[in-house]
Amino acid sequence: MSAGVGVDLENLWIRFGDFVAVRDANVNINGGDFFSFLGPSGCGKTTILRAVSGFLEPSEGNVLIGGNNMKGIGPNKRPTALIFQNLALFPLMKVWENITFSMEIKGASSAERRKRADELLDMIALPDQGDKLPSELSGGQRQRVAIARALCAEPDVLLLDEPLSALDLKLRQHMRTELREIQKRVGITFIYITHDQGEALTMSDDIAVMRAGVIDQIADGKTIYNDPSTAFAASFVGENNVFRGKVKQVMGSEALITTNRSGDLVARISTANQGKMKEGDEAMMFIRPEAFAIAPDGATGDHFVTASVTHEEFEGNVFNIFTEGEGGKEIKVSIPNLGQSFESHTGQAITLEYETRNAVIVPAGELAAE
Amino acid sequence: MNTSFLRVSVWVYLAIFFAYLLGPLVIMSVTAFNSSEFPRATPWECLTFDWFSALFQDQRILNGIKNSLIIGLGTVVLSVAMGLAGALMLTQIWPKLRATYYTIIIAPILIPGVVLGISTLVFWDRINRFLGLGADSFLSNGIFLTVIGQSTFIASYCMLVLVARLQRYDVALTEAALDLGATHAQAFRKILLPFMRPAIASAAVLAFLASFENYNTTTFTFGEYPTLTIELAQKVRYGITPAISALAFIIVVLTVFFALLNEAGIKRKEVVAAARRQATVGEMTGKVRLPGFFTGNAAAVVLVVFAIATISVVGTATVYSPAQCIADVKEQKRLEAEKRIQELRKKREEQRKQREAEQAEQGEAQQSAPKPSNNSGFGNVFAPNTLSGEGEDDAPETDTDEQPSGGNGGFGGAFDPNSLQSPSD
Amino acid sequence: MPGFLKEFLNRNGTGMGLAILGLVLFWTIGLIILPQLSMLDFSFRPNLPPPEIGGPKDVYTLENYKYLVYGPEGGSQDYNVVDLRIFFRTLIAAVCVTIFNLILCYPIAYYLGQTKGNHIRVFALMLIIPYWINEILRAFALRIIFGETGVLNTVLVGLGVFDTPFDFIRNDIALYAGLGYAYILLMIFPIYNVIESLDHNQIEAARDLGAPWWRIHWRVVVPYAKPGISSGCTMVFMLSAGALAAPQILGGPSSLWFTQLIYQQFNDNNDWPQGAAYAIVLLVTCILFVLAAMRLFKVNMGDIGK
Repeated sequence: MSAGVGVDLENLWIRFGDFVAVRDANVNINGGDFFSFLGPSGCGKTTILRAVSGFLEPSEGNVLIGGNNMKGIGPNKRPTALIFQNLALFPLMKVWENITFSMEIKGASSAERRKRADELLDMIALPDQGDKLPSELSGGQRQRVAIARALCAEPDVLLLDEPLSALDLKLRQHMRTELREIQKRVGITFIYITHDQGEALTMSDDIAVMRAGVIDQIADGKTIYNDPSTAFAASFVGENNVFRGKVKQVMGSEALITTNRSGDLVARISTANQGKMKEGDEAMMFIRPEAFAIAPDGATGDHFVTASVTHEEFEGNVFNIFTEGEGGKEIKVSIPNLGQSFESHTGQAITLEYETRNAVIVPAGELAAE
Repeated sequence: MNTSFLRVSVWVYLAIFFAYLLGPLVIMSVTAFNSSEFPRATPWECLTFDWFSALFQDQRILNGIKNSLIIGLGTVVLSVAMGLAGALMLTQIWPKLRATYYTIIIAPILIPGVVLGISTLVFWDRINRFLGLGADSFLSNGIFLTVIGQSTFIASYCMLVLVARLQRYDVALTEAALDLGATHAQAFRKILLPFMRPAIASAAVLAFLASFENYNTTTFTFGEYPTLTIELAQKVRYGITPAISALAFIIVVLTVFFALLNEAGIKRKEVVAAARRQATVGEMTGKVRLPGFFTGNAAAVVLVVFAIATISVVGTATVYSPAQCIADVKEQKRLEAEKRIQELRKKREEQRKQREAEQAEQGEAQQSAPKPSNNSGFGNVFAPNTLSGEGEDDAPETDTDEQPSGGNGGFGGAFDPNSLQSPSD
Repeated sequence: MPGFLKEFLNRNGTGMGLAILGLVLFWTIGLIILPQLSMLDFSFRPNLPPPEIGGPKDVYTLENYKYLVYGPEGGSQDYNVVDLRIFFRTLIAAVCVTIFNLILCYPIAYYLGQTKGNHIRVFALMLIIPYWINEILRAFALRIIFGETGVLNTVLVGLGVFDTPFDFIRNDIALYAGLGYAYILLMIFPIYNVIESLDHNQIEAARDLGAPWWRIHWRVVVPYAKPGISSGCTMVFMLSAGALAAPQILGGPSSLWFTQLIYQQFNDNNDWPQGAAYAIVLLVTCILFVLAAMRLFKVNMGDIGK
């Protein structure tokens, strides 16, 4: 348990009839890591989790836990514990009975179970709540009970299926920190499923971005944010402005693309696609709202964009300026609020400036739905 | 003004409706305490508890109860098991098969009970013959056949009750148990079964009641083991006595008792749940005291009143003796009967005189026209046969009244509706 | 299919899965399908003493069905008037009982479904209690009331409505009242269940728009409650047509119910194939009748049994 047990997915395919839920997934999760699968609902991430926990037999390929092939091993024999999306606390059992259910199965005495339950309740900061029913706890408390119940089984791998989605925003942010701390303390591998990029970015060592059954990119959070390898990853994680166009010229790790609206712009080719893109390819360029600055009027060049402002909003920490983008989409520009006086640009044309390293080019592809 | 009229008419309608629904049961219950030989509420004769002792001395009824209990138990076990399996299957069957499957398992509710009884009888008789077993084999045993026949449709009722609860079950709970290391059997026993327990209890009660009162199916399958319902039907079809009313009264009382008990239990749970929600952990243990049972629980209060009433009635019954009243009524009846006989005799006397007079006249006439008599419109009435017939009808009544040792049983024929017809003419 | 089976066993565990499968198969095939088929097969066979069953005389024949229509061979009449009359009388009477019950129960179901308050629970209890009393005893209770010297006659004669007691039993009034009485609950509950889920605001809205009460029911409540109404009617019709206890106890001596004919074939004549044939006729007719009625009133099969 100290070093943690790794999980490997090898050429994993999962089909339901004609529908392919997971297409050729290959993932190596290091022992002791906090690993997230990030993707919109219906992308197959929960299916992967169910294959790891043993509720689903893969159609093809293998799930390895700690190097052991799990084929034919049922969920009750795998060293995994799953925290369900709705937590699935047993409604008729008291909190302490819920937590120590895995011990009851093994025939532990009631005294032993109580003792262990008290330890775990202390750990999750819910002392003296053991005799309540789950329905008598608040959402956050139930969340922690579910974690304690899973940990009581002493799994090598803890699987979490969007466990925070039912909580309100404040609690969700608090539980992120708490989950990460618990993971560090127990040192086992966590596999976390979420559609919330904030959760994935704040907690994970590594993230796999999934789209329609396919894993687009596996990397740590910074890499995914700064150096996405597909259009989907770029548009799904964080806010991003997209510029469509054709590659005009490849210059080593950079390229010049002819955009449909804003003329020729220069940007960096994302690491995964370097050497793969050539002139004439359909491409997409992504620039984050915070990567723009307002340039002096009349500036021109391959890292300037001119557009007219449609509206503005003040969000507190930033000013957002929206200008006409392509295909009905707006270009969003976020200027940090540093106390500067801010004049309205609505209705005017402005010139925006970016640095080449902050703009990334990927092959044209499917964008994440808003 | 329109609304108040509407409200009044709603209440009148409700009153009529519930009178139709409950009236027969009340009247039937009342007849159990009337000493009249034929179950009726009017005219009231004497308050008696004799019908209850008559009931408890009836071996066929007692035997019927025993058979009903055995069959009921078997039916409960089989139909709850099949109903639960059927419900579990319904929640996870292949979608394409679901409609067909549902139609099959719901069909026994709509198939007439008679048809179910016959098909069970015919089918198992064939199996029995196919296996080369004799008429006394297990497969042609009345208890086996009845349990099987009843379970065919009672399992459908159970399935409906169970599936309603099962639909609210979160499959993730079973998965969670499996994930925590439980086997499928453990997950079933520790998670699903406790969740289903209230529904299983309801289904079991429903199954037992349905089995206990089933007639249409059982009447073809009971063989050597008549259930209470079968015995009752035999009795009711071939002559009814207030002992059946007594049995009905007991069943009504038990039903009301259990209904109230159930109601009080539900109320109590609500009270406890409310208390739990408010209480902190420290307060919770041992805080729900017995008097809490009654707070805001009308059903419980009614239940207690009901129990006290029952006890006092039973107490009265052990000391009360209606002998005097019955004797009085008997005396009165005897007097009435005598009076009637007197009248009859007088009438007969008059008739005889009249006839003699007529005959005398006819006798004169006959001399000129010797034709058979009784041609006249009222001839039959005065025919000797008719008269003697009437006399015979009267006979048993007169007999019993003059025989003090005859006891209650002797009344029998007198109050049979058919016998009553002629005297009341 | 084996894939489905494997998944089923995976999901439920082999032991549990086999137990569930076994029970379901026993019930559906062993208790429902095979006995019905067996009865169907039986109805096409001649009535033979046990030793001759399976022998050369044991061949398929339509005799048993012909008997219902044409009566015994060489009989005095062209058609089996007695049995056919009983058959159609049973169907018509069952329809009448169903309609009577619907008219009687709809207002109650509506009232219970749309009124809030503690007394509703009491009413519900009062509805259910009679249903827990034995069917035979309920018929018996009505016989006490409708008898020659029963309460009803005593009252009516006492009030001077009749000079002499009216024979409710011979006129089958007791029987119809008893059948209606027996299945009240089965009519109320499905309708109640549906009406309870009807948003009261819809009725308020209709009233607000100036609809008279009968139009509210006709245009709003009844269409909404249609699944419940058809469910209740189906149950009451099938059970009335298939009733045996009430006709035996409350029926007049001269008029039989079709189920009583079946009963006689089995118990008195000892002619099982004939009885089976009659049972098949009853079953098939009832089902066709219900299906036709559902087509007529545009109700889906899926709505039944809700």
